[in-house]
Amino acid sequence: MIHRVLMRKYIGQSMLLFLACATTLFAFAWVRVWVVSLLDMGQFKTILNQFREFEKFAPIEFDALFTYAGRVGMTYDEPIVILCTVVWCISRGSDVVSGELNRGTLEMMLAQPIRRITLLATHATVSVAGLALLCLMVWGGITVGIEATTVTETVDPPSFRIPMINIDVPLTVADPVTEEIPLRQRVNASTYAASTFSLFAFGFFLLGLSSMFSTIDRYRWRTVGAVVGVYILQLVMFGLGKAAASLEWLLSMTFFSCYRPQKMTSLVTSDGLGAPWSLATPIPDGTFPPLVYPLVLITLGVIFYGIGATCFSRRDLPAPL
Amino acid sequence: MQPITEESRNLNLPVSPPPTSQSDALPADAGAGSAPAGRHAEHSVRRAGDGTIVETIKLTKRFGTFDALVDCSLQVSRGEVFGLLGPNGAGKTTLIRSMLGFLQPTSGHCVIAGHDNRHSSVRLREQVAYLPGDARVPRHMRGAGVLRFFAEMHPVGDLARSREVAERLELDTRRRVGSMSTGMRQKLALSVVLGLQTPVIILDEPTANLDPTIRAEVLKLVVEARQAGRTVLLSSHVLGEIEDTCQRVVFLRRGHLVKELAMADLFQRHRITAGPPIGGGARGNAVESASPTPKIQIEVPEPWRTQVQCETVREEGRTRIRIETAGDLAPLLPWLDSLNLTNLRIEPLGLRAVYDSVHHGEDTPGSEDEL
Repeated sequence: MIHRVLMRKYIGQSMLLFLACATTLFAFAWVRVWVVSLLDMGQFKTILNQFREFEKFAPIEFDALFTYAGRVGMTYDEPIVILCTVVWCISRGSDVVSGELNRGTLEMMLAQPIRRITLLATHATVSVAGLALLCLMVWGGITVGIEATTVTETVDPPSFRIPMINIDVPLTVADPVTEEIPLRQRVNASTYAASTFSLFAFGFFLLGLSSMFSTIDRYRWRTVGAVVGVYILQLVMFGLGKAAASLEWLLSMTFFSCYRPQKMTSLVTSDGLGAPWSLATPIPDGTFPPLVYPLVLITLGVIFYGIGATCFSRRDLPAPL
Repeated sequence: MQPITEESRNLNLPVSPPPTSQSDALPADAGAGSAPAGRHAEHSVRRAGDGTIVETIKLTKRFGTFDALVDCSLQVSRGEVFGLLGPNGAGKTTLIRSMLGFLQPTSGHCVIAGHDNRHSSVRLREQVAYLPGDARVPRHMRGAGVLRFFAEMHPVGDLARSREVAERLELDTRRRVGSMSTGMRQKLALSVVLGLQTPVIILDEPTANLDPTIRAEVLKLVVEARQAGRTVLLSSHVLGEIEDTCQRVVFLRRGHLVKELAMADLFQRHRITAGPPIGGGARGNAVESASPTPKIQIEVPEPWRTQVQCETVREEGRTRIRIETAGDLAPLLPWLDSLNLTNLRIEPLGLRAVYDSVHHGEDTPGSEDEL
């Protein structure tokens, strides 16, 4: 099913893109954690409280922003992380058939004694493995960031609470004492395992979608255009569903509803490491247990691959342009 | 147009491929067949046993309402170099691509070395080295990497042989494919294909974009492949190449196989051009009519009427007699002598004349293998 020589070729072909995306994701995740240590979100608490009515647009409740774990977890919703994942998935997915047809190289490839399904499966293996490694790069960058970063925290001065009116009065007028604390004492890197899996599921869905379009098309630019079109449409549906209560039904029709990495982080923070992997207890403010969401994305990706394989094995392959 | 008779049909004898020890050394299942079901399949296996290594049975490909290939049936013998001829859009590439499974045939099928393209497409392609009409290889690799890649991809790939072919074609394999010229990329693809040790080679326009020296080298490689007992299907527009290498050709026109021709028979075809008989008027069997445009009528003796075709043509303002013959010329020479023709010129008919006649839907004497 998997062709060793073909796999080597696909690895060589995608290596440059992989290295670029992997470096970006690793470095960004690391830097992103370091930036977390620079900002004392407690100072923004008052400001954020004024925007509570917009909390529904945020992928995470505002309270999570005041914890280190919540702020580090926001990395998974950062545009750079999403962009790199999307670029990898669409570029690799669109390459498999319409990319090769566009370059005219599929003719020589399929003149060799290999099944079309073998070609598709080998390509998918390399792309999915690359995606998994990219997701691990994000997690790795976060882990390194957590290990290497220290945060400065203010030690609360001794105070006295006035009864009845509940006001804390400091017992000293000296400058507040600060101390350097390694971030790892505040955040555990394993918190983000479920979020990483969520990112992988998101990418797998896109890989399957773009591979399916690729198997039925002959121009790569058109394949990319179609996938980006679907992506933007789904994003708009997600935004509208969040914005207006009357359009909330749109949320059930967009795959973005299944991408909830920060919710996974919240679950770990509140219910422990095993909470995001549950298939029994529905998440707060959600319909399904947490593991269902990434599994839906993965199932859809597998279905897309199945449709793609069927189309590819039955279609006529046009001669090189 | 002369009617096709049993006698004239005998002139188009199929070329017997040279028996070689290499052909016997082909894979054990080559020709044995993979026992496909159906009447055609039984027929195929039988033919394969008869020495036919490639056979298409009523292969048809339709794109919407357009018939790209219609009921195309042909057989190619083991060790033969077989030419595919036809104008652009005639269906040559469609035929090849349908055989190899790039296109799903609307009906019909193909058997190569006993493997049916409907049931064992992968096994079929194990027997074939195929050079596409517009061969493109991965641009991110170097030439040497491409040779290695395809040698490893194919079960009978031979990297040393590919390198040897590349050397003969004067190709620098250290360069990246992306920086190679069109001709260099064609050489690289040829090195890949001719490096494979398959019993069947299919070449679609193999000499396109190549300089004359390399063209000659490619044809030499084709001849060497035939001498090694391998079978070559060659599609080309260069008639000289077909004449030089093929034993048999078929002509396609608008998706139909319209003519099959053995080259040995073609080489027995001649065109005799001459001036009117000495002194004009009737001489021997030649009679010049009294019309304003002189028309010379020549009575062809009964035994040769199916082989000889005469006509009067105007060349540079002069009336000329054109006689086209098929078959051995020697018995005709006394008759030709008796016509007392002037300025006699005898030339081989060549593939060009046949090609033109097929292209325009005409016919030539002795063209009995209409399909």
